[in-house]
Amino acid sequence: MNRSTTVLMKIEESATVLSLLKSDLLPMEVVLSQFNSKLQSSSHLAVCNSLSMMLQDQKMLCGTERIIAFGIIYHCYSSQKPSFNPFLSEMISAACNEQLEKSERAFLLHLLQWNNYNNVKEILKQSAVDYIRSFDPSTHDFPELGELQREYGDKADTGPSSHIFADYSLKKLLHDPDVPRGCDPNSPEFDVQPGGNPRIGSGDRDEALSGLLENSTMGGLAPRWIRPCPPRYPVHQSELLWIDPDNKHELVWDDKMCADTSRGATVRDLLVKGLKMTLSPSEQEDITTELTNDPKLVYNCGITARKLPQLVEHNPQIAVEILTKLNNNKEILDDFLAALVNMDMSLHSMEVVNRLTTAVELPKEFIRSYITNCISSCENAKQDKYMQNRLVRLVCVFLQSLIRNNIINVKDLFIEVQAFCIEFSRVREAAGLFRLLKTLE
Amino acid sequence: MDSRDSSSAVASDAARDASLLSEDAAVLSVTSTLAKSALSCFQSGKFEDCIDILIQLDQKQHNDPKVLHNMAIAEYFKGGCSKSKKLLEELNCVKKQSEELASAAREQVEAVNPGTNVSVSKDQFDSTVTTLNIAVTWFHMHQYTKSSSILEPLFQNIGRLDETIALQISFLLLDIALACHDAVKFLAVFDYMDKAFGVGFGSHEENGSTMQLSSNQGSKTSSLLSSSVVADTVAESSLCEETLDYDNVLAEIAAEKRMKSVGHIPANNLLKTLSERSFSTADLKLELQLYKVRFLLLTRNLKLAKREVKHAMNIAQKRDSSMALLLKSQLEYAHGNHQKAMKLLVVSGIHKESGTSGIFNNNLGCIYYQLGKYEASSQLFSKALRSCSSLRNEKPVKTFSLSQNKSLLITYNMGLLYLARGEPLLAAQCFQKASVVFCRQPLIWLRLAECCMMALQNGLLDRSEIRVNVVGKGKYRKLMIEENGHLELDGSTQCGKLSLPLARACLSNGIYLLNESLLNESKSDRESTLSVGMNETKEASSADHGEANTNSDLKEAKGGLNQDIMQSSLSAFKDIQSREKLLIKQALLANMAYVELELENPIKALAAANSLLQLPDCSKIYVFLGHLYAAEALCLLNRPVEAGAHLSAYLVGPDDFKLPYEQEDFDQWRMNTSSDCEETLDSSTGNARDSVFLKPEEARGALFADLAALLATQGHHDQAKAMITHALTLLPNNVQATVTAVYIDMMLGRSQDALTRLKQCTRVSFVPGRLEVRAS
Repeated sequence: MNRSTTVLMKIEESATVLSLLKSDLLPMEVVLSQFNSKLQSSSHLAVCNSLSMMLQDQKMLCGTERIIAFGIIYHCYSSQKPSFNPFLSEMISAACNEQLEKSERAFLLHLLQWNNYNNVKEILKQSAVDYIRSFDPSTHDFPELGELQREYGDKADTGPSSHIFADYSLKKLLHDPDVPRGCDPNSPEFDVQPGGNPRIGSGDRDEALSGLLENSTMGGLAPRWIRPCPPRYPVHQSELLWIDPDNKHELVWDDKMCADTSRGATVRDLLVKGLKMTLSPSEQEDITTELTNDPKLVYNCGITARKLPQLVEHNPQIAVEILTKLNNNKEILDDFLAALVNMDMSLHSMEVVNRLTTAVELPKEFIRSYITNCISSCENAKQDKYMQNRLVRLVCVFLQSLIRNNIINVKDLFIEVQAFCIEFSRVREAAGLFRLLKTLE
Repeated sequence: MDSRDSSSAVASDAARDASLLSEDAAVLSVTSTLAKSALSCFQSGKFEDCIDILIQLDQKQHNDPKVLHNMAIAEYFKGGCSKSKKLLEELNCVKKQSEELASAAREQVEAVNPGTNVSVSKDQFDSTVTTLNIAVTWFHMHQYTKSSSILEPLFQNIGRLDETIALQISFLLLDIALACHDAVKFLAVFDYMDKAFGVGFGSHEENGSTMQLSSNQGSKTSSLLSSSVVADTVAESSLCEETLDYDNVLAEIAAEKRMKSVGHIPANNLLKTLSERSFSTADLKLELQLYKVRFLLLTRNLKLAKREVKHAMNIAQKRDSSMALLLKSQLEYAHGNHQKAMKLLVVSGIHKESGTSGIFNNNLGCIYYQLGKYEASSQLFSKALRSCSSLRNEKPVKTFSLSQNKSLLITYNMGLLYLARGEPLLAAQCFQKASVVFCRQPLIWLRLAECCMMALQNGLLDRSEIRVNVVGKGKYRKLMIEENGHLELDGSTQCGKLSLPLARACLSNGIYLLNESLLNESKSDRESTLSVGMNETKEASSADHGEANTNSDLKEAKGGLNQDIMQSSLSAFKDIQSREKLLIKQALLANMAYVELELENPIKALAAANSLLQLPDCSKIYVFLGHLYAAEALCLLNRPVEAGAHLSAYLVGPDDFKLPYEQEDFDQWRMNTSSDCEETLDSSTGNARDSVFLKPEEARGALFADLAALLATQGHHDQAKAMITHALTLLPNNVQATVTAVYIDMMLGRSQDALTRLKQCTRVSFVPGRLEVRAS
């Protein structure tokens, strides 16, 4: 926290400031206008900051220097309301500090324009030395600290850094005099004597001043928060990558390029033909062999669920062949079986289903709905008695075959089939089926 | 020539009608002869000649997508497999073209012969091969998600595809799933393969009607059984427990070379034979068993992996056992038996081939890392990287050598190593390179952020000291405390591109990805029903055959059990993963709060710290950090009362803190993330020094110091003084605590105390002012 950017004054700047502080014989106006002309406004904050720090130490600057230093701080923010001055609180507390010279405090009150202290302009026309010399303490009264704070405190802006650590930060110099043990560090004997050899413990005030000006930084001293850095996330064994060789995933050459597709084409041609007419036994033979040779051919032989009914009508053998081959792919087979259930009932379709039941295991759901469909077809064919009788006989033979081959469990369909037999009891085969049911009971 | 061209164009049109005229048949035979010679040129690596023939073919069969496809492939090989982007563009173009042609042909046929339902030759415009090649190319570019999404539709209809292609697709999907650590997808594909080609697990062996592949399987397995047990014990016995260091390993390797190698066949030659259309069922069986082991290792089911890898060894006997040995080595590595792992790695012999020596060095590097021998590990990783790059420059180029180029994975390992050695810049470079592969994984972003933070800490050593400027001499000597601890860094030179804002960006990436994956986790139920649905359809066809198998003791792990076992390791793995995700989330949020505080962004820091504190089952260490960060953020937001509440959570009595966590909490946290195999790792080895953090007593000290700082700002200087005294006994020489103490002293008007304190603290450096520099 408190990572305010370090603003250091340039060496030339600090020399300028130092010389200005010492210009106690010039009218303060002149000093301030020199300040304006020699220093850029961007460095004002840094200058004020250093000055304010030095002002807090009552012994660093002498009386005239302090007056000029406050003057500079005031001047930097004179174009704004006093409450915008970030060093306002320092000025207020200095104005009420009993330990300070009354002349300085009165000067500050003028700067703050407290009540009847209103002739700043007049005062600034004097030099610092003249101001102090002509100061008459008896004509002044000084306000309490609380009074001043009430006047300006409310308006005071908390400044750029507003969190509590910054607010409470302390700008203080630690006094660490380097003098021999037992000596009074305040005695003038330790000041550098012109021409004389420097003795142990002596120090040059100007040197210290410019050192402070140059080295002072923006931040004050504030309590510091301990902010532990989070621990590094442990490396799990699996995070470290153990590598196994991959398989060789090569790019694949498309060997179907310009390939002779005639073999598949023959089957496709024959099947197109087979949708319209019954194929000769040799043609059927060809299809069966091709389908067996290339197990994948069935998926692109051109027969789809939509075309299946036509194939069933003309070439039930081939249809059975194809459906058997499709048995490995349940999704497609389901489509085909659905087509079979939904097509019109016929001898061929029943033949296909009958053969299929012996070749592969069909879903029970399919057989059940197929039988239901058969029965309802018979019931619906009322207009043509002849056709109806024919259908009923076919269904009865079909069902007997299924029952004898144990393809269906009679119990599942008992009521339905029994009702069918009774309805069509006039047909001989229905009566036969009924008897079969009874024997199984 | 023109007339010939146009007639051939007509010819191909006619061919699509599937009614061939005799003239077209002649053209067809010419082109098919050309096609054959193009293929043979391609196979013998004469890509120039191959392309010449393809150009001729293109003139005859204008714009035939298959010709264009093969041309693109041949061009790619001719260019040394370097222009992957171009290849992808061309393949995508071909794919689009064949799809358009296919639908146009369908419409045309329907229009010409309405109702007649003439079928269209599907082969001619089938883009399966093109799609597969696109996926293969993405795979080699490490773009696994893309590759997988392209293969997905093919996999849906895999039953209809040619078996060779189907196998290639399946194996590619398995490798993708492994690369993405996607156990769910792996199992879906593996289940399919087990059912469709499942020669290895006995359940289909008696069942010739559905499986053309499993001809003489039964007899083979039983004969394998007896001999393989011997082989296994031989391999085991060579592994006496002796200490190995790198020199020993090298000696071992040298000795191995002199020995007669055990019928060594290059690793994984399966798919090569596949493309030649004659694959042995035994190869396939071994391959599937190896993948099963890899799945079990991925899901960290070490017990079962051990059993299954034995089966793999049995099957691999007399064939190529290198992969099985490698997996065995990985298993021992996962168990923490590093010596054994090392031996097996050497025995596997993969260092003998240029294609896999990089992998060998990498894996050995992993072992050394776990042993804490970072120097050796680093040498091995660099060696692995070198052999990878030499592989890339090898001629003639093969695409598989691109996929064997594991340099990005090795680079990631290298990054972890640099991080462990405290070299954040190098580590970050590694992670940035590796992010091509891992950018969807939250962890890599956490690692990058850690690099940034480490770089900042390394660069800011000043900060761990108090700088006191000494100004003036003699009686005017003043001390000026340089409060704003760290100087602005000349970042660019010292920290490269690493910075706190980068850390913040990385962390928010990580958090985003993690939340996304947690969201997907809840969605995954839906996905899994999809794959289960597929399983059921397959199961229906094979359900009855399960019990048919009566083949000796191999049976226990097979058949119906097989699937249950894998399913249960999958769900166990899901638990592990979601636990790990939570741990990563804690780490991400804690780091985020820290980084935001560093960036002076208390609002965001507070938000991160609060989310951290709201996590269920949060580790006590992160709870502590959460409270501390939240409290500090609240202070910075001028909310001292709430800040105090966070700290006082740890108060016992009016002025004492309990330990925010115990040492065992820390150990547990570390173990939680570093081991979940049944045998707990010895904490003294390996990654013990990965994470350094405040000891519990130090954490308590931090609480004292922070409360002192808070009290001091509230003007309770006396209370603060008591707190900071506690803090300094627990954390003597802590910079922050000392500064706070100095502050409190000065506020209490005891500047002499402050002075003494500064002079006693060993971490204060007194810096002379610039005065000396000045010319007088």
